[in-house]
Amino acid sequence: MQTSPQNNPLGVNGIEYVEYASSEPIAFGAALETLGFQAVARHRSREIVHFRAGGMNIIVNSHAAHQSGIEGTELIAFALRVRDAASAYSYCVDRGAWPIDAHAGAMELNIPGIAGVGNSTIYFVDRYDEFQIYDVDFKPIPGVNRNNTAVEGMHFFGVVQTIGADRAQEWSDFYRELLDFRILPEGEYFGVLPKGVLLESPCERFYLQLVQPPESTADIDWSERLTRVGFGAVDIPALVSALSERGVRFVEATHVHTSERGAVCYLGGTSFEFVRSHLGGA
Amino acid sequence: MDTITLAGSLESKLEAATIAGFSQITLWAKDLVGHPRGLASAAQAVRASKLRVNAIQVMRDYEGLSGALHGYKVDTVKEMLKVCDLVNAERLLICSSTSSHGSGDVDRIAADLKKVALLATPLGIAVGYEALSWGRHVSDFMLSWEAVRRANCKNLGVCIDSFHVIANCTLNGTDFESLTEIPGEKIAFVQLSDFLWNAVRSAEERIETARHLRVFPGEGVHSDMLARMIRMIDRAGYRGDWSFEVFNDDYLQMPVSAVAARAWASAKWVASQSARRSVPRDRRMDNRHAAIPGELRAA
Repeated sequence: MQTSPQNNPLGVNGIEYVEYASSEPIAFGAALETLGFQAVARHRSREIVHFRAGGMNIIVNSHAAHQSGIEGTELIAFALRVRDAASAYSYCVDRGAWPIDAHAGAMELNIPGIAGVGNSTIYFVDRYDEFQIYDVDFKPIPGVNRNNTAVEGMHFFGVVQTIGADRAQEWSDFYRELLDFRILPEGEYFGVLPKGVLLESPCERFYLQLVQPPESTADIDWSERLTRVGFGAVDIPALVSALSERGVRFVEATHVHTSERGAVCYLGGTSFEFVRSHLGGA
Repeated sequence: MDTITLAGSLESKLEAATIAGFSQITLWAKDLVGHPRGLASAAQAVRASKLRVNAIQVMRDYEGLSGALHGYKVDTVKEMLKVCDLVNAERLLICSSTSSHGSGDVDRIAADLKKVALLATPLGIAVGYEALSWGRHVSDFMLSWEAVRRANCKNLGVCIDSFHVIANCTLNGTDFESLTEIPGEKIAFVQLSDFLWNAVRSAEERIETARHLRVFPGEGVHSDMLARMIRMIDRAGYRGDWSFEVFNDDYLQMPVSAVAARAWASAKWVASQSARRSVPRDRRMDNRHAAIPGELRAA
């Protein structure tokens, strides 16, 4: 999708990677492998592993979990592909984003980022074609095929974010003003969880779903954070079948069923969503 | 209740407000950062009081600047937002700039306000922009509303300070009725006060009165005007708190319990003026601190 600078000032072009903090990296890594990801490299100085499936990259960061006292696994960041990472960072900070302090060690890559929801970060990456950012900070795991394909053309589709009551417009303003995301009309949604507000990236290759607390929240521990990654696939039944064979069990509950539109699974201490997608594999 | 009206330590102010019956409080940032045992102790005292912090005031001379001055003020507003976050304050109040260095270009002012609103969004904080009647470029509520309207952020609204409205009406002939043009959902906060003479005769007297001689609503000579203002704002759909912004040198020489009691009497007067006709909840009679939606709340 070609976009003009007028409606995509940062040149956003999909997701480069998502990052989880995990105090249980082996169990979570095994869960990712069930979904077809493969550990391809380890960080040179910290306990961080790079997983890959097709064009998708997932970072599993145990170091961050230890530093932040995170128990279990939490989605803590997504990295947007942009035209120029330094410019995108300056653009956002000039307009009211909180800059995130980089913690790069000697000879490590400084990936610029801004504060997102909760304790999450939105990173900007501009080297994703001929040069891979992972080549700087990570050492390849010997004997691993780094060019594995994703199951049934699975690709990044979006991220789900929980928000406080009546906060949808505030967060929509945030993503509109800083990243030029736009709100999709009410009723337009993807997957099997038709709730919340859906925001589309200016490149039309990435979606953010903002989910407010349900009506009766008195006894629900509800906080603002990134909660779930959504994967897209052209043929959901084929994807569900392939992942089931790999051992994935999908949620069948009162309000959530596997269908041609999508599916949900809980795996490795977190949830993943699968969405029938009009997007090609990234 | 607002801590700027009370003398003494933060703890004594919080206690006086609680004993008087208030469940919310507006905090003067100086009360927190100037705490003798430091900001963390101040925040602990606020949390221990169980009072809901409806606002922190006040960010001054922020908007319309450029270059190093702008950067300095953005750093300042970030620190104030961190203070808000520390005490779970619901909003940060910004008053219009008096600086001769600031631009009067409304789009630039709107852009600066939008920047604060976006900085405040991840923290879940709202921003109220108040027109000081002696603001250099933004000096009445229609000008502050225009800047807020152009900034177009949900968590940014106008803060109405009744003193400046009344002072402008008597000194500059501001059309009081045009308050109805501001939608209730774009009013972020309302601060009420009165004073004891009918008309402000000069710009100097306006500042002197504002800073030293305000009284609580119901104690001054503009009660009819205040009552109309409360009803207009209420009818516009405003469902937020009514706070008191009462700078008064005499109150700073009186026991905090006596001043807080006057504030509580005033809160009842304010409640009685509202179309909703509900009275402020007496916290002494109810251990639950959460406000009832739609209830007139006095702070």
